[in-house]
Amino acid sequence: MQPEEMKEAIYRCGKCKLCSIATYHPNEKSLPICPSGEYYRYQAFFAPGRLEVLRGVLDDEIENSEGLLKVAYACTLCGACYEKCREISSIEQNHAEIFEEMRNLLVEKGWMMDAHRDIMEKVSETGNAYAAPVSEDYGHGKREDTLYFIGCTSRYREPEIVDAMIAVLEASGEKFSILGDETCCGSVLFRTGQREAGEVQVQKNIRAIKESGAKRIVFTCPGCLMTFKKNYPDLGVELLHSTEFITQCLDRLPLKKLDMNVTYHDPCHLGRHLGIYNEPREILNRITNLHEMKRIREQSWCCGSGGGVKSAFDDFALWSAGERIREAGDVADILTSACPFCKRNLAEAADGMEIYDVVELVKLALEV
Amino acid sequence: MFENLKKIVGEQYVTDDPAICYSYSRDQHWNFVPAKSPACIVMPGTRDEIREILLFADENKIPVIPWSTGINVRSLTIPVHDNSILLDLSRLNRIIEINEEMMTATVEPGVTFGQLMEETVKCNLRPSFPDAPLTASVLANNYLRGIYQTSSADGHDHTLSFEMILPNGELIKTGSRAFSDMQHFRYGIGPDIAGMMAASPGTWGVVTELTLKLYRVYDFEQAYFVGFDSVEDAMPFIRDINRDGLVESCRLLDHHSYITGLFGTFDYDYEKLPEFVACILVAGIDGIFQAKNELVKKHISESPGKLLDIPATLSTHFREETIAGSEKSCMVFGLRGNYHCIGIYGPLTHVPKYWELHKKTASDAGIPDDHVYFYVNPIAPFYGQLCYIELDIFYDGSDAEMGKKIREYNNLQFPRLLDAEIYGWFRPYAGIIEPTLDRIGYQAELWKRFMEIADPNQIMNRGKLF
Ligand SMILES: Cc1cc2nc3c(=O)[nH]c(=O)nc-3n(C[C@H](O)[C@H](O)[C@H](O)COP(=O)(O)OP(=O)(O)OC[C@H]3O[C@@H](n4cnc5c(N)ncnc54)[C@H](O)[C@@H]3O)c2cc1C
Ligand code: SF4
Ligand code: SF4
Repeated sequence: MQPEEMKEAIYRCGKCKLCSIATYHPNEKSLPICPSGEYYRYQAFFAPGRLEVLRGVLDDEIENSEGLLKVAYACTLCGACYEKCREISSIEQNHAEIFEEMRNLLVEKGWMMDAHRDIMEKVSETGNAYAAPVSEDYGHGKREDTLYFIGCTSRYREPEIVDAMIAVLEASGEKFSILGDETCCGSVLFRTGQREAGEVQVQKNIRAIKESGAKRIVFTCPGCLMTFKKNYPDLGVELLHSTEFITQCLDRLPLKKLDMNVTYHDPCHLGRHLGIYNEPREILNRITNLHEMKRIREQSWCCGSGGGVKSAFDDFALWSAGERIREAGDVADILTSACPFCKRNLAEAADGMEIYDVVELVKLALEV
Repeated sequence: MFENLKKIVGEQYVTDDPAICYSYSRDQHWNFVPAKSPACIVMPGTRDEIREILLFADENKIPVIPWSTGINVRSLTIPVHDNSILLDLSRLNRIIEINEEMMTATVEPGVTFGQLMEETVKCNLRPSFPDAPLTASVLANNYLRGIYQTSSADGHDHTLSFEMILPNGELIKTGSRAFSDMQHFRYGIGPDIAGMMAASPGTWGVVTELTLKLYRVYDFEQAYFVGFDSVEDAMPFIRDINRDGLVESCRLLDHHSYITGLFGTFDYDYEKLPEFVACILVAGIDGIFQAKNELVKKHISESPGKLLDIPATLSTHFREETIAGSEKSCMVFGLRGNYHCIGIYGPLTHVPKYWELHKKTASDAGIPDDHVYFYVNPIAPFYGQLCYIELDIFYDGSDAEMGKKIREYNNLQFPRLLDAEIYGWFRPYAGIIEPTLDRIGYQAELWKRFMEIADPNQIMNRGKLF
């Protein structure tokens, strides 16, 4: 993104701060949607203030400081501000992308969070963001048209999601492969402004995918999917989220209705960034009793973990998750999402609430 | 300074980090007031902390800028001097009371219109809404004496009383608050202190609590949209329905700009509307509503205007925008990416003249015709045919050349409007203060002297007025 484009966004911001609350009518509620601003409170942490700080960076009026790093990196890049701004002003300048670009500028100057540098080192040494010993457990070794790309978080932290997805793929009759030596897609690196390191991962994955001969890739992680769509060249391969895949074969799957009152949390990467809102709901409506929260879809409250926040500002990430858990508790007993990263953070703040990924519930519905 | 403030509010609530301070350095009015950062931001959580901060600042002659939600559009919180403290009051965000019986609300500075409406609607009441975002502070807007153009029937003054901490730490309470626990009457004893201190950009002290009027939300409502081909054609109709007190809301506006906010969508063929549209809402309890409604219909049929057939969703949105929480007025930004306006009070009789002057000055400043818009809102009670008139220019905020032209427009237009005669300005801010002070004689001197008594060291938003 060119500085002129960023400046255009900065100079078109009327400082109304409406991007900090969900649409008022017809809910008749003034509900916050910017986790960063709500938690840190200073103007700098809301989109209009963050845009100002970016102006300072672009005009070389701001030097590195603890505050600058916090402003730049304690934002989940959830994009709620952009969706709301676009609704009221029709201005199509994506704040999540602009704030990511701000990180690129900072990293170029060497101004970054230690936690993010640490992740970059882990990825380059071990191929995954958790520095876990490479797990080849899932490798099928076969060449199939469909490849299930697991992603670091499910593979090394939320294996139930992987098990569930494998069960669903098998139940669907779809032949699929999994890369034994799958490596990080680069998402966390791109989101934290470490573009060069991200590119290294892109090249590794391009090679692996070409070698796999896959014609389509299914992801349970919307972060990986978004990175493939946004940061990878067109590989001539169909890219699908698990919920899209399941919706396509919904009628083929022998699903029973679960006696569960659930609500659904839209992951930012899946919803706001990729526009996938309906598929998870279609699945959940089929297999559970779905009750919606007030802040959903474009105006969903972020779980708090994205954009490198979980690794660098865990207190903020958990606070955001806690807010979501409380909201979910008003309408349901079970909170579902469709992202391993959301699941992980929400589960840490769960306070008794049961948290599942949609594919886990699909697996349960297959077993009833 | 930082260490002293830290002692008062605790480390978590004060910062002198240059990046964080920078985020307070500019607002939407950047074409007129240069960016400048405060030296630190402090977020008190109690009145006692505010008092201590003021005493410290007063003793050390440090400028203090009160900031409630920072939604103002006239650079009222952008520092003029180095080393200023920005007093971010957003942590004080309690609705202290909604008194259904008395039809009043008492709020702290951080309470927003959205927050307040959420509660008042539960008892079928509402505040009067400015066209400001729902994120704006109710207290700051009322203390600044905002423009409540969404409803003409509500009138102009909604503040009943407030309490303010002065730089010397003294607490003053205005109106009936001064000597009782009742906060519901503007005039307690002697002069109207609230009136004297209102419409002031934080230059007297810090308002910590304010009581305002609430208005009924009626079950019976009807919206009308009447098209006119010229401003002149609409004048008798607007005069008559307001003189007789028939309407809850009444706005005459061009078919391009603020109407998008009132209808809540960009996705409508606005071009097909007549050049000017009067948006009218009639409301009331049953019998009164019926009678008013019949009279309004009669006035419409007798006017040269054309009753427009507007889709129900847009009409519902107009209703929401005017009496249930104005939310989309900010959509005007979307027309070109920023807006500039001069807001004035004047009589309806002068409206065609103001409109002509607006077009002429814009043309003199090199601003294209299609950037020039306007609207007029009558205000009840209609003595002096009081109206709020907004002379708008919508432009691309990132176009620096256009910024220059708009500065030129202001330079030309302020004295021209004073010459054309107006009742008053939207509020005091840089640019209008200077030409106006020249014309108000000793009143300017008196104003300054009163302020010196309240704030001898001139710490309160120093330089923002004089
Ligand atoms: C798109 C848009 C449209 C708008 N339309 C309208 C409109 O139609 N009508 C209207 O009235 N306004 C309008 N405004 C302006 C804005 O909403 C008001 O100026 C606003 O209510 C004041 O801003 P604020 O409440 O955030 O106060 P702030 O920006 O925090 O402060 C405004 C001024 O009041 C002083 N102040 C704030 N709090 C205190 C306090 N507690 N004690 C003493 N002084 C204090 C400050 O020092 C400053 O000078 C609009 C703004 C925007 C962005
Ligand atoms: S909604 Fe848009 S214009 Fe308003 S403050 Fe947010 S980013 Fe700026
Ligand atoms: S991207 Fe999300 S967290 Fe960041 S400023 Fe926008 S709404 Fe707030």
